[in-house]
Amino acid sequence: MRLSSLAATVLLLGPASAAAQMTMEIDADSPSGRPWALLSATAITAYTWMSRVPRGASLDEFHLVQPIVMLQAGALRDRLRFEGAIDFEGATMPNGELGPGLWGEGFIDRRHPHTYFHELILSGAVPLPGGLHVSLAAGKGFAPYGTDDPMNRPAELFPVNHHWSQILERAVLIAGVQWRPLVLEAGLFNGDEPENPSQWPNLSRFGDSRSIRLLIHPIEGVELQGSHAVVKSPEHRPGAGSDNYKWSASVRVERPLLGGRGYLLGEWAHNSEFDGFFTFRSWLIESAWSGGRQRPYYRYENTDRPEESRTQNPFRGVRPHLENSIIGSSRWSVHTAGYGVELGSTRRLGIEPFVEVSYARVRKLGGGIYDPQLIYGGDSFWRLTTAVRLNWRMQGHRMGRYGVTAGQGVADTQMTHLMK
Amino acid sequence: MIQTMKPIHSRVSSALCLLFAAGAVSCGGGSEPVTSTGAGLTVLSGDHQTAFRNGTTGQDLVVEVNSDSAHPVAGATVHWFVTVGDGAPSASAQATDAHGQSRVQYHMGANYGLNVIGATVEGGADTAYFEETAIGSIASIAGGNNVEQRYSSDLTVHGDYAYTGSWNWFPRTAGVDTLGASIAVFHLDGTGAPTRGDSVVIRGTITLSDLQVSDDGQWLVASTEGGNQEGLYVYRLTDPAHPAFVARYLVAAGLHTSTLAVLDGKLYAFTAKNPGAPALMVFDLSQLASDTIVLAATVPVPANYGLHDTFVRGGIAFLFAWNTGVELYDVGNGVKGGSPTNPKAISTIATSGGQAHNGWWFWGPADSKQYLFVGQEGPGSVGSTSSGDIHVLDVSDLLHPAEVAFFHREGAGPHNFWMDEGRQILYAAYYNAGVVAIDVSGTLSGDLGAREIGHVLPGGAQGTYTWGVQLVGTSLYDIDMLDGFRQLNALAP
Repeated sequence: MRLSSLAATVLLLGPASAAAQMTMEIDADSPSGRPWALLSATAITAYTWMSRVPRGASLDEFHLVQPIVMLQAGALRDRLRFEGAIDFEGATMPNGELGPGLWGEGFIDRRHPHTYFHELILSGAVPLPGGLHVSLAAGKGFAPYGTDDPMNRPAELFPVNHHWSQILERAVLIAGVQWRPLVLEAGLFNGDEPENPSQWPNLSRFGDSRSIRLLIHPIEGVELQGSHAVVKSPEHRPGAGSDNYKWSASVRVERPLLGGRGYLLGEWAHNSEFDGFFTFRSWLIESAWSGGRQRPYYRYENTDRPEESRTQNPFRGVRPHLENSIIGSSRWSVHTAGYGVELGSTRRLGIEPFVEVSYARVRKLGGGIYDPQLIYGGDSFWRLTTAVRLNWRMQGHRMGRYGVTAGQGVADTQMTHLMK
Repeated sequence: MIQTMKPIHSRVSSALCLLFAAGAVSCGGGSEPVTSTGAGLTVLSGDHQTAFRNGTTGQDLVVEVNSDSAHPVAGATVHWFVTVGDGAPSASAQATDAHGQSRVQYHMGANYGLNVIGATVEGGADTAYFEETAIGSIASIAGGNNVEQRYSSDLTVHGDYAYTGSWNWFPRTAGVDTLGASIAVFHLDGTGAPTRGDSVVIRGTITLSDLQVSDDGQWLVASTEGGNQEGLYVYRLTDPAHPAFVARYLVAAGLHTSTLAVLDGKLYAFTAKNPGAPALMVFDLSQLASDTIVLAATVPVPANYGLHDTFVRGGIAFLFAWNTGVELYDVGNGVKGGSPTNPKAISTIATSGGQAHNGWWFWGPADSKQYLFVGQEGPGSVGSTSSGDIHVLDVSDLLHPAEVAFFHREGAGPHNFWMDEGRQILYAAYYNAGVVAIDVSGTLSGDLGAREIGHVLPGGAQGTYTWGVQLVGTSLYDIDMLDGFRQLNALAP
């Protein structure tokens, strides 16, 4: 695959060639006013075992997951910014990643690989009289909806609610306004989600979907979030599928705690289709603490999932869709706990071995022919991951934060080495 | 639909009534005259009932006569009459009681379907209407619970045998592989009752999506989807108890349905190729004797979910193409010079709500070919819920079809149809609502909800999700994804 070659080239040569011409300064005020650029990278080498997968047996596998190279740049006292992230999961885990309850983009009981170009956003922000800041962002990236990309959060395992709580890899146009602790963002984008890692947004559908997000920062380190999105036919690229009406609310806390740094996220999400014929909801709470070299974390979620017809490959649903029916719904309760220890980190390189354990239960919701006993031979799951996370020059960029929200908060997964 | 003109109740007259409650003006009804312009009729109860034909409605039909000042009038004469149907009210004229009410029983006639009963007050201008429906009984005769290991899909009945398919997109039984769609063979005895016989497994496929025996009884044709061997399969029915494989034509992405038609002396299969590149694929089956299937034509269909089903009759192919609507093609009719090998587009109509899934071109009495019935397959949860309406198109002018009526059933949506054209009854498989019979006689317009004349849940309230029906003589056969294959009685003549 050509893109995997590109990945290797960038991973090996990129840092050396780019380092000479960049500064390491990332400051929202950019006092020097000089243009800057930062190339960074992250990846996780992970061994994962699951006690139960479709057809009943246990399964283990080894993958390089979340391999990302980022390029961030700023100019004009940071009024002009670029956020770029290339995700190589399409090459390193083309068949997805095992995880209880994971789904989306045609994968079932596995997390799908993201597209190669995860984020390519150019944004401009300007201050106005009266303390107002306004911004405009455009490119491929996250719509202003919901919570952070799970890759920016404590656990390696993605939450089941990924497709209820984030809208990503779309062609977006986002306007933002900030006034003191209030931020309002509104976005237009294409409703179709990717069907494979190489696929670009369907530009003919740009503007058929929209979202709005309100952020409030009442005190430092606390973020209240509420958002709503109308997404046209996300699962059927030509546009014949159901429209999603999404709601999300969350509170995110990122504060000093016990000599380290504490992180807490509580979120609720709701998704309605066909005027409420199908509804799915999610509750999630997760926390982490980073101090010294230690990073313990925990997450619990309770999330509904639509159940689809499966192909000969039990980890895949039928794509493209033929119709609007499903075979039922399920509710997943997932506990995930992990513990990481940073080894030999510097501000440039973080190496964090960690172990992560999840326990999940599933139950059938309502009618339909879906029966977890028939597909899994049981309704409880254990997942064990032992992994090493590598962060090279990562500066805590929260993906999906553009324009007036750029630089607000720090991605939890990079917190430990940023504290050095 | 109640069509009643209600009197205007003046606030002024009400106030006067209060002022002179004890005086000369009577406000309580009973003695106030009914004027020829102001008397009003109100339907109190009894509208929109069903009763078996030759039976009586459960509730009386009750109207209330009101004076100009909106007070019940006693002693007024109400005339009852029937405008549609062959039933009869228990009285044709009746004086209102002390409450200003007139009530009659309504006895259904011998015919199924809509009865419209009118009531008018002597000397008054208003008429109130009641709509009641004479229904019949559809009940199970034999079969059911006979395809336990897999979910069932389509059916076809010919002669003394019936064949049903399996839907394997999700396992029904632990240990039974979903790979390998199967055909279940049933023998029908002298009464039409089914007995399970042989099974034919189509290896490398997941679901058998459609099944049909050619009119001459020689061939059994199946469309399949899923797996790596999906496509069109043909079996020889020299021994109908044991279909023998003849030929197959593999189609990547699979075929969702197949419809057989004889055109210009040749047997063709009109099939719906699944997305991503959905299309009508026409296969020439005239060389089956030499075990050969020939692709005759491919007509792309917009990828608006694509093509779900076809109905071919009189040289016209109706393509039920989801949100694109219904596409009409000349495949031998002559209206556009088309043929099976070169279909020519005639027209397209987007049905309201989209999701056009299946249909039946109704050739009624006196050679009427006015109506096309279209099933809308809305969202559902397989095995428990469904949604969607039946849309009726007037296709008298094939170049300009128009939607004229619809049938809505709360809490369920239709799947496949069969029509008793002689008796003008549409039998619709209705997923979780089982089998529904609809009177389609006469002019069809607007809401046809009052035309439901029969209903049955073959597998009971919790075990019904009906895929298809077929009428054979006096038997109505149904295939239910949960309940299997069953013989029902059709509505009695």
